[in-house]
Amino acid sequence: MNTIAGNTIFAKVNSRRTEMKKTLVSVGMMLTMAGSAYAEGETVTIPAEDYKAIMNRLDALQRRVEILESTPQQAANVPEAHYEKVTEDINIIYNTIDDLETKSVQNKINFGAELRVRADNYRAKNYNTIDMTGFQQHVMAGMSPMQAMGAAMTHHDKESDSNNWTNRFRINMEAEISDSLQFHGRLAMYKNWGDSDDASASYMLNDFNRGHRPGSSNLWVDRAYVDWIPSGFPIPLAITVGRHPSTEGPPFEYRENRLRQSTYPALLFDGENDGIVVTFGLDRYTGLKEAGWRFAYGKAYHSDDDNNTGSAFPFFDDGEAGDSTMAATFFETKIPGLKNSLAVLSYAKVWDLPFYLAGPNLYETGMANVDLGDMDLWGVHLQASDIAATGLDLFFSYGGNRSKANGNAPLGVFGLLSSDGQSNHSGYSFYTGLRYTMPIEALNMPKIGFEYNKGSEYWFSMTMGTPDLFNKLATRGSVYDLYYIQPINRYLFFRAGYIHIDYDYSGSGQHIGAPMESDTTLDNYYFLMDVRF
Amino acid sequence: MNKKFMCTAATACFFLLLSSTVVASDLDMSDLDIFLERCGSCHKKGGGAEPVNPADKAGVVWAKYFKRDRHPGDLNGTINAYEMNQIIVFLQNHAADSDHPVAAIIPK
Repeated sequence: MNTIAGNTIFAKVNSRRTEMKKTLVSVGMMLTMAGSAYAEGETVTIPAEDYKAIMNRLDALQRRVEILESTPQQAANVPEAHYEKVTEDINIIYNTIDDLETKSVQNKINFGAELRVRADNYRAKNYNTIDMTGFQQHVMAGMSPMQAMGAAMTHHDKESDSNNWTNRFRINMEAEISDSLQFHGRLAMYKNWGDSDDASASYMLNDFNRGHRPGSSNLWVDRAYVDWIPSGFPIPLAITVGRHPSTEGPPFEYRENRLRQSTYPALLFDGENDGIVVTFGLDRYTGLKEAGWRFAYGKAYHSDDDNNTGSAFPFFDDGEAGDSTMAATFFETKIPGLKNSLAVLSYAKVWDLPFYLAGPNLYETGMANVDLGDMDLWGVHLQASDIAATGLDLFFSYGGNRSKANGNAPLGVFGLLSSDGQSNHSGYSFYTGLRYTMPIEALNMPKIGFEYNKGSEYWFSMTMGTPDLFNKLATRGSVYDLYYIQPINRYLFFRAGYIHIDYDYSGSGQHIGAPMESDTTLDNYYFLMDVRF
Repeated sequence: MNKKFMCTAATACFFLLLSSTVVASDLDMSDLDIFLERCGSCHKKGGGAEPVNPADKAGVVWAKYFKRDRHPGDLNGTINAYEMNQIIVFLQNHAADSDHPVAAIIPK
């Protein structure tokens, strides 16, 4: 700014000098012209007074030019005080920018937040519940497992649960640590309104005072991972490590009214997961956009020895079911010719699925956890948003699975997708739907969507972290999902919906035991408010 | 048989809908297209101006940037009002404070 001001003053001075010189040149030319007329034999006579006046004028102009040329530039009509003020202002601005830059560097993490309040009404028909304590007592009393299960089972013709409210609060974090290293994280809370019947609740500690009484140091970390792009590899390579973005994946973003939230298609994997993903970027080799080939490694289950008494090393594996590990590979790309589209081919293998994913509860019953076998999963996912600028979004997802039982069958009925743990089974599911953005600007472009998924008798995938409490994508049967989204502004929207589930077989979402035919149905009406900022 | 038929039919319907829209989708100009065509002609590597990353500024800052006429070159003769509006919409939709997709990163 100082330079600009100086240049302006400089220009003014130069302008005045130029003006002077122009005058001198003009007068000189007049005299030269007079001289040249004389040379051609024509004499111009001017009065001596005029000649003197001209010469005096020339002398005066010459003096002024000399004065101007010897005068410092700063003197040109700009007061000294103005320079000082400008200099002072610039220093203040520099100091302010220094403060802001320092704060910006120190603010290592950007925070965002989201709050969802949801009201649900449920109605279920023709379903059974099993009293597990009673089941174990019957077995200990000498009944066969099947007899004990029958004795512990209660049939329900029709039950409803209305006015069920939940709060979900999330703090999202991200940081660009360097050009090649990014951090992402999410802390989450998700609870029923007034929930005070869990194991930690007491007279002193319940839902009225959990934030006001000493309780536990628990802080639920939904996600915490870094994307690292190391340099020097012939093929673009990224390594993603930590607790991954592996929940609410494509195409859930349509009904969640947001952009993609997970690496994996929701039909195949929708759960919080710790692991490593190596991704090769293939854009420059395939000509496809957003193309990548991923290799993933993670753990589905780990149980250490901390629930056993007397161990000198309670962090060791407890030697019961062992670890359940996962390895997977995915290829994804935009669909050529379709903007805002995604295609994903998936294959995953899970080794040593345990009898019960929450092992310590079993320890209390005296029953050891064991692994039941392995599971192969594969899938194809396609989706396209705002097709041909019509506001229409479409998706189709297919998943398949194949079990490989290892012969273990706790209590004689809980083998891998079988009673005896001897037979292997295959299942499948497909999931399709659409969403339409209505061009009604007065209503902020509301959206309406419909989804349908159907799973077979032996369908199983890893979808334990699904946003709905009933895990609709695990259903061995048919699911009809209709919803309406009403945006209020950029940060707030409401969604109302109805979901109907026909369970054709029991055990949806469970890998243990043989599925049995079922007439169970579930209806869910809900309304939610979602704020993100 | 019935399940296989349903699965096949659903797949066929999806691809039919997709294929019927591929040609049409190339004809429309999204805000991304306008941004790439009108801004990308100069703002590119080796171009007349540095590449622009919408995430370099917050959405409200982009709006103020153009409202205050801070763009160094005069755009009136090259970009019409509709295009300018779409460009600002694109910049705001992908601004630093915008909602953005989340997944393990794919390197370029």
